[in-house]
Amino acid sequence: MSEGGFLRVRAIAKKEVVEFTRDWRTIIAIIVIPLLMFPLLFILFPVLLESEAAELDALELTIIVQTDGLPANLAENISQNSINYTIELLPNLSSLSEPGQDLERVRNSSADAILRFESNKDVWGYAIIYQSTSERSSEARYRLLSVLSEWEDSEIRVRIEQGGLEVNSTLDPLRWDGEVADGDVSTSGEQSGMILSLFIPLVLAIWTYSSAIQPSIDMTAGERERGTLEALLCLPCTRMELLLGKWLAVATITGVGVLLQIFGLLFAIGYLASSSFIGVPQLSVMSISLIVLSIMLFAIMVVAFELALAMRSHSVKEAGSILAPGLMLILFPALFTQVINLDGIEGFWFAIPVVNILLALRELLMNRVITEHVVIWAISSVFYASLAAYYASRQFNREDIVTSLS
Amino acid sequence: MPKSLLSIQEVTKNFAEVEALHEINLEIYSGEIVGLVGSNGAGKTTLLRLMAGVYKPSSGTVNLSNGEPVTTMRHELGVVPESTGLYSRLTAWENIRYHSRMHGIPDSVSWARTEKFAEHLDMKDSLSRHTKGFSRGMKQKTALLRALAHGPNILLLDEPTAGLDITSARTVRALVQQLRDEGGTVIYSTHQLAEAQQVCDRIVIIHNGEIRADGSPAELLSDTNTDSLEEAYVSLTLDQARTRKEDNDRESAFTGWWRRLFTPRTPKTTREVTEDE
Repeated sequence: MSEGGFLRVRAIAKKEVVEFTRDWRTIIAIIVIPLLMFPLLFILFPVLLESEAAELDALELTIIVQTDGLPANLAENISQNSINYTIELLPNLSSLSEPGQDLERVRNSSADAILRFESNKDVWGYAIIYQSTSERSSEARYRLLSVLSEWEDSEIRVRIEQGGLEVNSTLDPLRWDGEVADGDVSTSGEQSGMILSLFIPLVLAIWTYSSAIQPSIDMTAGERERGTLEALLCLPCTRMELLLGKWLAVATITGVGVLLQIFGLLFAIGYLASSSFIGVPQLSVMSISLIVLSIMLFAIMVVAFELALAMRSHSVKEAGSILAPGLMLILFPALFTQVINLDGIEGFWFAIPVVNILLALRELLMNRVITEHVVIWAISSVFYASLAAYYASRQFNREDIVTSLS
Repeated sequence: MPKSLLSIQEVTKNFAEVEALHEINLEIYSGEIVGLVGSNGAGKTTLLRLMAGVYKPSSGTVNLSNGEPVTTMRHELGVVPESTGLYSRLTAWENIRYHSRMHGIPDSVSWARTEKFAEHLDMKDSLSRHTKGFSRGMKQKTALLRALAHGPNILLLDEPTAGLDITSARTVRALVQQLRDEGGTVIYSTHQLAEAQQVCDRIVIIHNGEIRADGSPAELLSDTNTDSLEEAYVSLTLDQARTRKEDNDRESAFTGWWRRLFTPRTPKTTREVTEDE
């Protein structure tokens, strides 16, 4: 490209970025949302869950125990769990789980749950009548199950002792010697890479595609609809320069969004792990370089593809209705890639569009540089990116891009 | 004899099955204002787009006098399209500067030219404003400033006074004439005969994709034996004007069928009219 061509591409990209970011809604979409999404999800959401759980823990619950004889230590355990209970006689039913006459009592909340407990020689039968759609009732069931489980454990221990056996060796005949973590030969960096490899490729793929939708449409179908493209096409720049300038602008906007989202994700993981850099994987220079290369190839392909589809469209509405469902083309492979076992994976997986880059990112984040895989995904990605760029250039060379429906 | 600048030879332009222009022959000479006059859908905009190199002819040639394609002279071209083509989130000056930079003109040079013409068009105070709130007239003037900022030799103006108030339209016309006096060439598309008569040295009447007349206002009157340009125009365009078809897109059979499925039949008589509600 000539110097003049380079300057024109830069002028187009700069103008597009400036114009796009002048809309405050865009700033929220490309900076605030990506930056805050994961911290909100991983930090604020658990805090909310904790406060809800504490609220449930503080509830005083009312239950009815229907029994033919409740063991004294069990009755004591129930009352220690903020449960007020009254005892009734067991009704005559074919099974304890059958709600019978008590159905309405639970449904109208006169009791949060009903525990039925029947002695039968050496074993006891029990059932809990509850309403799964009521939080109080579910909490009552949860507390009763905990109490019963504890009581069952103590009963097992008593019986083992009565049988003349040693309790611990009977219940736990196989034991791990030492710390479990000491047996793992993977380094903490590799472990972090493994965890991140399950998040980052997914985030990159989905966010690259979705954050490129709006600028791609705005800079192509939007220009077409607003009638600004005609004046641009009369300027001394080639259509290829126009495509490159717009591609650069969309890639910059998308890149900023993706980087911020990854930053937010790492911050959230670091916060959850309560350590600053433990979550950073150990990566070689080669792995980092290949990660950058794979992301660039993916961005070239996705952005060119979106620009081409948006340029084909006659209006913003039409472009939106084509590009938005296109997210499925990324989402399904992205989810599918998460469950593929990387150990001994066949080479052809690295030649499938979208899947190849996602798998490459997973491998590289685990610091695995397998030459055969790298060659396959690099060649196939260059091919797909070239194909997308060629398709985009064809769309930009169409004569009818100057016309619009409006 | 003025120097030929642009030569349009036997140009036909088709959009799918629609013939927008039919065997057009036209010479544009240096230092003249050529008015392209015709009704909506006549083919004026298509001809302008061919001259700007945005469209390629289906047959025939649109070349410079030296035989090179028109795209090689884009540095010398200033274009004001019908839609003005301004970016609403940029200021008037940023719009102008963007195009000048694409022409490779330093900001200081384009600013000096812009300032000069903005004074003329009473736009100097509006250069720092975003064009979003501009009236149609201000948009037209900004687009004109943008087209002039890099010092073009040829101006292509598509309906430059459409939507302008009387004073603004007059200012634009005076500016166009001033540019011609300074040696520039202007191709001026309009559907207003009176305006064309007032501004243009030469009028080209286009109707249904064909050139029906080409000459000075006086020549048109004498050729048609009429007393006014309006009468001349009517006598040259007696056949019914077609509707605009240039932007029609080819539609797949399925798309057409789907669209028709949800399009109610237009009633032919009052009795057939049914209330939707």
